[in-house]
Amino acid sequence: MPLPDRGGPLAGVRVLEITKVWAGPYAGKLLAFLGAEVIKVESLSNLDEMRAYGGVDINSAPYFLSINQEVQSVQVNMKSAEGLDLLRQMITRSDILIDNLRPGAMERLGLAYEEVRKVRADIIQVSIKMYGTDGPLGYQTGYAPCFAALGGLTSLVGHADEPPRGMNIRYGDSTVGASAAFAAIAALHHRATTGEGQFIDLSAVEAMSGMVGDSLLAYGLTGNIPQADGNAHPGMVPHGCYPCAEGAWLSLAVATDREWQALCGILGLPDADRLAPSLDAQIGALTSALDADDLAAALLAAGVPAFRSKSSLDLVSDDFLWASGAYRMVTDSHGNSRPVIGPGWRMSPDEATIERAAPLLGEHNDYVYRELLGLSAEALADLINRKVVD
Amino acid sequence: MTALTGLRIIERAARVADEYAGKLLADFGAEVIKIELPGGSATRAMGPFVNGESTVFAWLNTNKKSVVLDPGKAGDHAILHRLLASADALVDGHDAPWREAKSHPHLVHCVITPFGQTAPPAWQQARAINVMSAGGWAWHTPSESAPDSPPLKGPGRFLPDYEAGLEAALCIAASLWRKRQTGKGQFIDISQVGVQLSRADCVIGRMLAGEQEPGPERTRYDMGGPGATFACADGHVFLLMTTSTHWRGLCALMGDPVWAATFPSDWLEFHCTTDRVAEFRMHFSRWATEQHKDSISEAAQKLGVALVQVNTAGDLPRHAQYVHRGFFQTLKGVDYPTVPYHMSGSPVRLTTPAPALGAHSAEVC
Repeated sequence: MPLPDRGGPLAGVRVLEITKVWAGPYAGKLLAFLGAEVIKVESLSNLDEMRAYGGVDINSAPYFLSINQEVQSVQVNMKSAEGLDLLRQMITRSDILIDNLRPGAMERLGLAYEEVRKVRADIIQVSIKMYGTDGPLGYQTGYAPCFAALGGLTSLVGHADEPPRGMNIRYGDSTVGASAAFAAIAALHHRATTGEGQFIDLSAVEAMSGMVGDSLLAYGLTGNIPQADGNAHPGMVPHGCYPCAEGAWLSLAVATDREWQALCGILGLPDADRLAPSLDAQIGALTSALDADDLAAALLAAGVPAFRSKSSLDLVSDDFLWASGAYRMVTDSHGNSRPVIGPGWRMSPDEATIERAAPLLGEHNDYVYRELLGLSAEALADLINRKVVD
Repeated sequence: MTALTGLRIIERAARVADEYAGKLLADFGAEVIKIELPGGSATRAMGPFVNGESTVFAWLNTNKKSVVLDPGKAGDHAILHRLLASADALVDGHDAPWREAKSHPHLVHCVITPFGQTAPPAWQQARAINVMSAGGWAWHTPSESAPDSPPLKGPGRFLPDYEAGLEAALCIAASLWRKRQTGKGQFIDISQVGVQLSRADCVIGRMLAGEQEPGPERTRYDMGGPGATFACADGHVFLLMTTSTHWRGLCALMGDPVWAATFPSDWLEFHCTTDRVAEFRMHFSRWATEQHKDSISEAAQKLGVALVQVNTAGDLPRHAQYVHRGFFQTLKGVDYPTVPYHMSGSPVRLTTPAPALGAHSAEVC
């Protein structure tokens, strides 16, 4: 059965992903959300760990279901020569191939770029590794908080005079995935103008460095090493998060004299010294009895940038986020629906539809083997029987 | 040849997010024409400064052209329309999308705001720390935050701007692909907060779906376990450890100290209590203080332990892997960070430093 026409700017682009955990699948998801047809290559003998986390059923694992919406799943046993041959046939019908396997794994499968381009000369192959594919440390592996530590980001997060703490431990993989998706699309343009594909070798550690690029360049220009500085801001005072009633916190970023005067008026800060070391404590003493949402609304109305710092409970119950499409509902092939996080964009006209939940393992075997590769029902049944499709 | 050669982008930035989107497109080879008001972009006034020039502006505007236009002047208005007519895309940072763009339906028109186009206008005043707060990352940063410790803004000043700028560049590149096929433009509405949420898809998503309880605690994004930053003799390391294999490797790294033998071999999987984590950290901190970060990190990798250096901006230009990959590129004697990719067919090159105000007015107009 052909796939439904979802529209979107990448309609007609086919992506094959051999990815696991978060960074690679997130790249695939963003491309799917932009309208690409994204096919995830999976197998029972080499399963994405996310199909196992937090559940016993590989088709209802919470982490997997939270990431892989609008992606197809095809089973291929990559431990068999026949499976790899089928995979190469899929590659000939794809524009982009993404992987985030361990260093050397693609090469061992015979899927190094030099091999892949023999079957599809203009393939765009994106490979995500902690440190990239080669170099003195290219063999090393790690997890997202390691990327952030190595890339110079962790050293810049933390309260002043404490050891650096870094972003929350979950930060990093998705940003790496978004970086991969962008480069893949840029390469489509290069292919359109030159006819050439290419190999894109992504370093997750360097992707983190990009998120602090101004700090890295500032060091290069000034020789001063930027440090973790809590919530301090060189151009704004006050700037930070301030305690409110019921354990809430209010974020505040005051740049101009006008904003400062408005803040003083609303908080009743009489003749406060804006540069006093005790300013944050003075403000905190005044905000701590106030409701964070009410105070934020009053400050915004007076032209002072302020917003409640949201907990997970605040986020899931936020009406605006539901109404604006930040959250979406998707449905799986059994008719079960699930709320998921939508993309950070809206487009008009021709936004890609986002309706289908993450795939069951092998849900699109028929589509891939029969429609794309042109095999008969009997041939596919035989492959399944012999566990070439597993 | 770089990947986006031949595409012309007009950048009319109001926020760092817009300039970062423009930078990504420019570094990938698009011709990015930055339209500045006579007073210049706000980022030109952001420190630190070197020889009177903003380092923030220098970072955000490599490979771009600068044109000064005063929309109040009739002549400039006409130039603006000529530029828009000749362009493929417009990066627009203003809360209300630019009316001028409406008469150029061939344009990919991207607007980046804190909350997207459907938000109450007052919310669009939000600055980076407000966006980090509205999207949940501040509340949960750092991991293991105490209730009385303020949520944090993240690294530097601009993380949510860079994340949204990356998203905008992604969407613009995709939409320009569509324009190649159809000749048609598109309107793209980027929400910075939406991007923040998307980056936490498998954390918040499980709470939305009812598989994990949301709550008011600051630790709801955390993973538990002993992973943390530790001080060494010459800096800091970050350790992440989740399995008995990691634990065996770490014990070997430390020379199998007596205290470690009192921990069950599978404690990380099955007996990872708060007390045990605290006890581990006490012992490990004591050991780590006397170690050098490079030597223990290298030894840890060989033992299969995810223990890595917490690098600073000062460490990276000399870092063997960064040097090998050429992450820093020298331009006019200055080492610029570039992009996290090697692209075999269309390598990214920084060709020109950030332009002086109006440096390209004569050429472009």
